[in-house]
Amino acid sequence: MTAYLARRVLQALVVLVVVTLIVYALLTRVPGSALGAVLGPHAASGFLPRYFSWLNQVLHGNLGFSLLHNEPVSTLLAASLPRTVALTGTAVLLALIVAIPVGMLQAVNKNKLVDHVLRALTLLCYGTPSFVLGSVLILVFAVKLKWFGGEGPQAPGFVGVITDWRDLTLPVLTLALLTIALFSRYLRSSAIDSLAQDYVRTARAKGAGERRVLRRHVLRNSLLPVVTLIGLTVPQILAGAVVVESIFNFQGMGYQLWYAAENHDFPVVLGFTLVIGVGVVAGSLLADVGYALLDPRVRYAGR
Amino acid sequence: MTSSLPATGSGGVQGGRPAGAGEPLLQVTDLHTEIRRAGKLVRAVDGVSLTVGQGESLGLVGESGCGKTMTALSVLRLLPPGGVITSGRVTMAGLDLTAMAETDLERVRGGQIGMVFQDPASSLNPTMTIGDQVAEAVLLHRGNDRRAALERAVQTLRLVKMPEPERVAAQFPHHLSGGMRQRAMIAIALACEPRLLIADEPTTALDVTVQREILELIDELRHRLGMAVILVTHDLGVIAGRTDRIAVMYGGRIVETAATATVLGRPRHPYTEALMRALPELAATGSGRLASIPGLPPDLTEPAGGCRFAARCEHAREYCASRVPELDGDHPGHSYACFFPVAQAADGSAPWLNQLSTANGHPPAAAAVPQQPPVLQVQGLTKHFAVTRGALLARRVGSVSAVDDVSFEIAAGQTFGLVGESGCGKSTVARLIAGVAQPDAGSILFRGADLNQLTGRDLRGQRAGIQLMFQDAYGSLDPRMRAASILREPLLIHNSGRKRAHRRTVARLLDEVGLPPDTADRFARQLSGGQRQRLALARALILQPRLIIADEPVSALDVSVQAQILNLMRKLQRQYGLSYLFISHDLSVVRYMADVIGVMYLGKLVELGPAHEIAASPSHPYTRGLIDAIPAVLTGKDGARPAISGEPPSPTNPPSGCRFRTRCPRAEQICAEQEPPLVPAAGRTGRLTACHFPLPPVPPGGTVQVTANTE
Ligand code: SF4
Ligand code: SF4
Repeated sequence: MTAYLARRVLQALVVLVVVTLIVYALLTRVPGSALGAVLGPHAASGFLPRYFSWLNQVLHGNLGFSLLHNEPVSTLLAASLPRTVALTGTAVLLALIVAIPVGMLQAVNKNKLVDHVLRALTLLCYGTPSFVLGSVLILVFAVKLKWFGGEGPQAPGFVGVITDWRDLTLPVLTLALLTIALFSRYLRSSAIDSLAQDYVRTARAKGAGERRVLRRHVLRNSLLPVVTLIGLTVPQILAGAVVVESIFNFQGMGYQLWYAAENHDFPVVLGFTLVIGVGVVAGSLLADVGYALLDPRVRYAGR
Repeated sequence: MTSSLPATGSGGVQGGRPAGAGEPLLQVTDLHTEIRRAGKLVRAVDGVSLTVGQGESLGLVGESGCGKTMTALSVLRLLPPGGVITSGRVTMAGLDLTAMAETDLERVRGGQIGMVFQDPASSLNPTMTIGDQVAEAVLLHRGNDRRAALERAVQTLRLVKMPEPERVAAQFPHHLSGGMRQRAMIAIALACEPRLLIADEPTTALDVTVQREILELIDELRHRLGMAVILVTHDLGVIAGRTDRIAVMYGGRIVETAATATVLGRPRHPYTEALMRALPELAATGSGRLASIPGLPPDLTEPAGGCRFAARCEHAREYCASRVPELDGDHPGHSYACFFPVAQAADGSAPWLNQLSTANGHPPAAAAVPQQPPVLQVQGLTKHFAVTRGALLARRVGSVSAVDDVSFEIAAGQTFGLVGESGCGKSTVARLIAGVAQPDAGSILFRGADLNQLTGRDLRGQRAGIQLMFQDAYGSLDPRMRAASILREPLLIHNSGRKRAHRRTVARLLDEVGLPPDTADRFARQLSGGQRQRLALARALILQPRLIIADEPVSALDVSVQAQILNLMRKLQRQYGLSYLFISHDLSVVRYMADVIGVMYLGKLVELGPAHEIAASPSHPYTRGLIDAIPAVLTGKDGARPAISGEPPSPTNPPSGCRFRTRCPRAEQICAEQEPPLVPAAGRTGRLTACHFPLPPVPPGGTVQVTANTE
């Protein structure tokens, strides 16, 4: 497996280099002295040397200076990144907790009423734009029923966000509903595949009851492909976060990115883009590692 | 955990009669099972009744789609989605399995009745260790704690003769070979000492030599544990020596049942008889045709009234189409569902058997050593595949010697048969000759021209003279293309002739391979297995080749259809003067088809000679092993000699000296030190053998192959 992982990490590194090159190239086009602010007055000349000294700065946390906030980009990032992680993390967790049983239930009752109803529901969640979904939730649960807050948590930091469950619920729900729809559809089809496998019949022939068959044999094998897919949905989830954060006035990365883009604050846009790029690459890498750990066929391949 | 498996069973069985006096262990009464799928209703099992006594073994035989697997699955109510038992009863030791609640049935599954499935590769959970999978069965029925269950699992793995059971228990299915996986499956089924084992095609996915080991294991365990066995198979040879009774199924019904020796020695139902005559190992070599059964098994969505075999039956009369024959017979213990059963000779034996034994005595002259100029000459063909390891830079750590110094030639109008177990390199030889892969060394001369020296147009011209045919016609024919386009494609690629001419050629070829003209407009996926193989043959023929490489062309087909395809291939051979390179793992099929046979083992050609002589008197121990491993239908017994055991070692690191020595019963010191060259065998003509201690020729009169033993 080490061979596989090493290859996979190398691949991820290559992608990252490409991402930094693109961001750098864009940065050179930015009007004003955005790049100069990073590189300092004594910077080298020439594309590559300048790229490397920029990269060096980036690796040391120097992402430039926001034109709008008059603050280093890194400071903005430090404030917003944990908040976004808290939001998306909770949403993905919630989505998994709901999507796994939903997907399994659909697979077991394939093409029966339960399946149709659930499929219609998930399709609805999937098809409704996040801003509509978010607005409806705010109207019903915040304005009418007053159960939850209509704005995201405003307290700073990761802990501040996740402890404010009253304000956190609606943004997480909005984001999670979309994600539930994604995951449960994957899980449904992958569980239908597993259910049709011969080893499920073997398990039944052993005398395993339905629940045991599902838990021990179907679930694990169905989750395998889903793990990879979770990694691949990171960009979609982040895109969802941008919308949700702006609806709920939640100052996370998505919010800042949105705001910066609207106001032509290029250093912030590119700095955040870079970080998101790293996040996406890391997400798919983690998914593959998880897959390798779960699947013995990969785990032992090539020793 | 102290309990161990009992050493002997309770229900010993002598002769062909069930020993379970009184109450039978399993009783199936008038079972009807239907499968609803995609708006169609298939009456898969249509009134099957059978009994299995304590410790008895029953063979359930039939071709695909005859309902044998559905009958087996109905017993444990493990039917696929859409499958329902609509009427009938299944009782096991007095318990009604059909009426029982699901939770009660779970106690029976794996506890009282163990089941083994066809494909061990897909029937084991890929993400659980072997030990856990066996232990699961123990936990479910014995409620032991995990440690005890695992211990019991290892014990059961030892019982099924799994090498290194402790180590294997911690491994995952993909670590094991096919034979070992099937042993693991059997261990799962036997972990709780069931009283009945149902084995559904347990060896179909395995090599012959492994097949024999698995069958012997099941047989031995049956006697040791005193359990009853239902062996479901399409292969008459598999059950011949191993079951007390046979039930032959056709069209969802049992058409004949009796003691094994009775059914095989004196079949009364025309279908049983036809099945046996279609077996290539019973066909007289070289001469004549295989008796094939015309047509296809019936469509069970709308079974016709009357006898279901009527459309294909030689004995059918008008009467048969209007009434359904019931399962009974003129002798007690031999029942058959037929109005006009096959006649018996005065001595009670089947008349066609006698013809067969005389035919076997005279090998036809046509099978003599080739005199025609060779179409294909292969010299010193060698192919290695690199094995690489390493994360970033793939280092070459070794090589698999897939084909090593193989030489042979094929005469015009003749068939060269290449036999060996899977992984012996026979398919690689095919790929090299077809130009799909490039050899590392050696030459391939096709009609005198070296294919490796040719380029461009010349090469393409010569290549058109060699065509391929595969086992999996479905995979090699685009399912979304119509038959006509599939046939026209090669013509377009080779840019020959005009459109109108194409259409005529297509029509003519469809006719030649026995497909109705309207096949031209049908999609490949709409055709049956046999029809697809006919289409593949037509496609191979369209460029008028001299040589057709047929890689396991009939392995996926039912016996009756297999016989049709083999006959067709022979007819076309005579008609066009074709040569075949016929590759198969099945020696009996190769013997029927080939004039000359080459036997491969781990990339080496180990024996070469005239087909009927090799089959009658092998000189290489491996060839002998292959022949012994073929279950003989008529003698009802496997050879007394121990067949070769185990599975081939890895070709990455073949044994020194003779590659076969790790499995050879005759191996001695020198075999490990010196590689035996392929040289003429002493005392035989036209025979090459690579062995230091070749077997002596079998004296005339004696044979190692099946003889018509009619009691
Ligand atoms: S009943 Fe008639 S059609 Fe059926 S098997 Fe007998 S002879 Fe043939
Ligand atoms: S050379 Fe030796 S090991 Fe090889 S087949 Fe002959 S007797 Fe067996």
